[in-house]
Amino acid sequence: MTQFLQLLFQGVALGATYALIALGFVVVYRASGVINFAQGAMLLAGAYTISWLATDVGVPFLPAVLAAVALLALAGAGFQIAVLRRVSGEPTFVLVMITIGAGIAVTSLMEALFGTDPRLLGDPWGSTSFAVGDVTINWVKVWGIVVTCAALAAYFCFDRYTRWGLATQATAEDEEATLSLGVPVRRVHLITWAMAGALATLGGLFLAGFPASPQPSIGDAALRAFPAIVLGGLRSPTGAVVGGLVIGLTEVMTSGYAPSSLGDNFYAVAPYIAMILILLVRPYGLFGRAPAERL
Amino acid sequence: MLEVRDLTLRFGTICAFEGVSFDVARGELLAVIGPNGAGKSSLFNALSCVYRPQKGTVRLEGEDMLALRPRQLAGRGVARSFQNLGLVGELTALENVLIGRDHLMRAGALRGGLGLARAEEREHRAAAKLALRKVGIEDLAGRVVGTLPYGHRKRVELARCVAMQPRLMLLDEPVAGMSAAERADMTALLRRLHRDEGLTLLLVEHDMGVVMQLADRVLVLDFGRPIAVGSPAEIQNDDRVIRAYLGEELEQTA
Amino acid sequence: MLAVVVVFAIVLPFALNAAQLATATFVVIAAIGATGLNVVTGYAGQISLGHAAFLGVGAYTGAVLGADHGVTAFIWIPAAGVVAALLGAVVGPVALRLRGLYLAIVTLGLIFIAQHVFFNLDGLTGGPQGRAFPAVQLASFDFSPGQVLDLGGITIDSSGLYYFLGLILLAAATAFAWNLRRTRSGRAMVALREREAAAAVMGINVGRLKVTAFVVSSAMAGVSGALYGSYLSFAQPDQWSLLLSIQFIAAIIVGGLGTTAGPVLGCAVVFALPSLLKQLPFLPEEGSGGLSAGDLTSITYGLLIVAFLTLEPRGLVGIANRLRRTGNGSDVGSSVTPKLTVTTPEEAHP
Repeated sequence: MTQFLQLLFQGVALGATYALIALGFVVVYRASGVINFAQGAMLLAGAYTISWLATDVGVPFLPAVLAAVALLALAGAGFQIAVLRRVSGEPTFVLVMITIGAGIAVTSLMEALFGTDPRLLGDPWGSTSFAVGDVTINWVKVWGIVVTCAALAAYFCFDRYTRWGLATQATAEDEEATLSLGVPVRRVHLITWAMAGALATLGGLFLAGFPASPQPSIGDAALRAFPAIVLGGLRSPTGAVVGGLVIGLTEVMTSGYAPSSLGDNFYAVAPYIAMILILLVRPYGLFGRAPAERL
Repeated sequence: MLEVRDLTLRFGTICAFEGVSFDVARGELLAVIGPNGAGKSSLFNALSCVYRPQKGTVRLEGEDMLALRPRQLAGRGVARSFQNLGLVGELTALENVLIGRDHLMRAGALRGGLGLARAEEREHRAAAKLALRKVGIEDLAGRVVGTLPYGHRKRVELARCVAMQPRLMLLDEPVAGMSAAERADMTALLRRLHRDEGLTLLLVEHDMGVVMQLADRVLVLDFGRPIAVGSPAEIQNDDRVIRAYLGEELEQTA
Repeated sequence: MLAVVVVFAIVLPFALNAAQLATATFVVIAAIGATGLNVVTGYAGQISLGHAAFLGVGAYTGAVLGADHGVTAFIWIPAAGVVAALLGAVVGPVALRLRGLYLAIVTLGLIFIAQHVFFNLDGLTGGPQGRAFPAVQLASFDFSPGQVLDLGGITIDSSGLYYFLGLILLAAATAFAWNLRRTRSGRAMVALREREAAAAVMGINVGRLKVTAFVVSSAMAGVSGALYGSYLSFAQPDQWSLLLSIQFIAAIIVGGLGTTAGPVLGCAVVFALPSLLKQLPFLPEEGSGGLSAGDLTSITYGLLIVAFLTLEPRGLVGIANRLRRTGNGSDVGSSVTPKLTVTTPEEAHP
């Protein structure tokens, strides 16, 4: 029972981080129909930037995080201006492949700059924890859940209550029409990618927290967020949260309970298997809708 | 040949069309007209198995059409054209027409890749060329469709439909977006196809002039309900139809 | 034109040194797999990030049959293609249910699942340590390293033998793809790519076609993988990775999606890149930290993909056509870019 509760907590914590990453995808996809395969790379870059600022440069943790968020937001926007804007008319496949290419380039660049050995994240929580009964609650994971909730709330407010949120929704529905109404669509895309960068940084921060650390394998962990967005239906922030939790719980539960006959590290593929099984039953994810096609 | 009875299609609470019934006799050309939003395109899509109507039946020479999946239409002898043109821009006109022959061909990927389907290819290429000739653009067979002007592309689309050797052809706004000259050409072509080939055609169209010249009978929809069926002359003088178009002249446009 | 290419391909090995020949051999072997990917992604427009899984399955089939059971290469090479094709037949139906991006992510999952299986079936694959792969033995010709074939004065070493075998199989694959494109299935695949919804109404059996595309693609990948493993003579399961899949995707994009020459041209760029980059003067020693050749290679792949898709989506073939057109002044080839319309799942415009 204790193990179950322990795994439950860890699953929720991991799920929250996946939800954060998934939200970054959803933000970009809703605005432009592009699946950002570079999200994992941005995550890695975010984690490394925080680590570098906090440990090598000696910046206090919170400013380091804020600075990293700002830097990655700028990088995301920069990518949008420099590359994506030029190819905005191309079919989605092209845009997706461009993000894949950019992702590879950035991931390798991180390896080149920081090497492959694990680093110190520089966070104040480290491995500290407190106990609830027999269950160990790590502070870093608690903060992960808190920040995810805060980010979701912030996004919700942005989406519903601000002009830019409305502009984003309009752009997603029909970019040409929105443009003709005088909405600065370019700025919408900039904001979208900046948000993606910011969310990736936060996601990277918590993926790199105890017991992990900033190292290249985080990028792979980020890929496991894909099933989360697929399950969530790609367009729905709620879906991102549910998808993230499902995948996080699946991963942690299988790592705890999977029989060894399924092989070592089965938990790494369990999310994908779960995703495939669910997709076979609901081809558009748990929250997705079938598209209405104009013939 | 085509029997439509009490066809009804709803999207949630919105009713696309309701209680539509009509017949199309073999060799007849029936035009479906109506103001914008009358439900013509939805009716069209329902007849081509893209939408599933909630009520009603459609029978083609006695066979139930609504139970079919879209890809079975071709085998049952139904061909339709698309408003967005179901053409592949990077293929030639001939290749596009050959796509219409797909359901008549047997060779799979294995035979095709190994080069064992030559005879069948030749046979169907000849048929495709014939279809292009009937439509008057045989000399464009080798041209890439993406480089052709709109009027010619519509003809390629028409040739593809003809090549499918259909019993019934559904044409979705065949003269939409055309200049006056192109429209006249297309109208003459359609009339020739209808008379000489004896094709059975169901047209959705906005252009009254075209409809008056081509149709044997006309079905008028308004807000999803059929309001009149008859010959072009009858429809032109029908009060209900005139009211539905409110202010639109039903005289023949040149 | 074709004759020139054939002569060039045959003469090439004799003009290269050992290291260059090895690279050329890799390019030729990889191009077989790339031709397959070009069918499923270039012709039929189905994104497959899982190509490396089919390569791996083919490789291990060849290894198990050839090394563990002593079967001749005349059998294990085709068998590799067949087994990989069977896997393709399983994945294909998944493509029926899922469109575009969902399909892409499921094929991504395929890579991870395949790698997981490879890592754990250590009886067949040697587990994380990897295993040895059999050298090709055709009748009396032994392709093992060190072996040399003497043809009346012309000597061909092991690399050369692999090169020529690869070339023959590549020619076969290319001919198959070329034929395919000019017949019913090929046209239907292009229609599927461009106008999936309309294609069904036009009479095309979309479901069967998607499965066919995956089967053809994975069969070629299987053969390619088997030769690849055999030439490397040793491989670990992490070889069949997402990066390998991406290298193949990069190859067909750089070469030109849906074109005939694209796969070879693209592989020439992508798979020759590492050895080219190693020769750059400013790189530090291996292992001394800083920018390694491996990192630089990956960065370059990424940038190449981005650059080509941004500037010339038609790839190298597109560039060649453009040059030819400005040279002749005539309209050679299509000016229309093949559109891989990945139907985004929620393109709902009610």
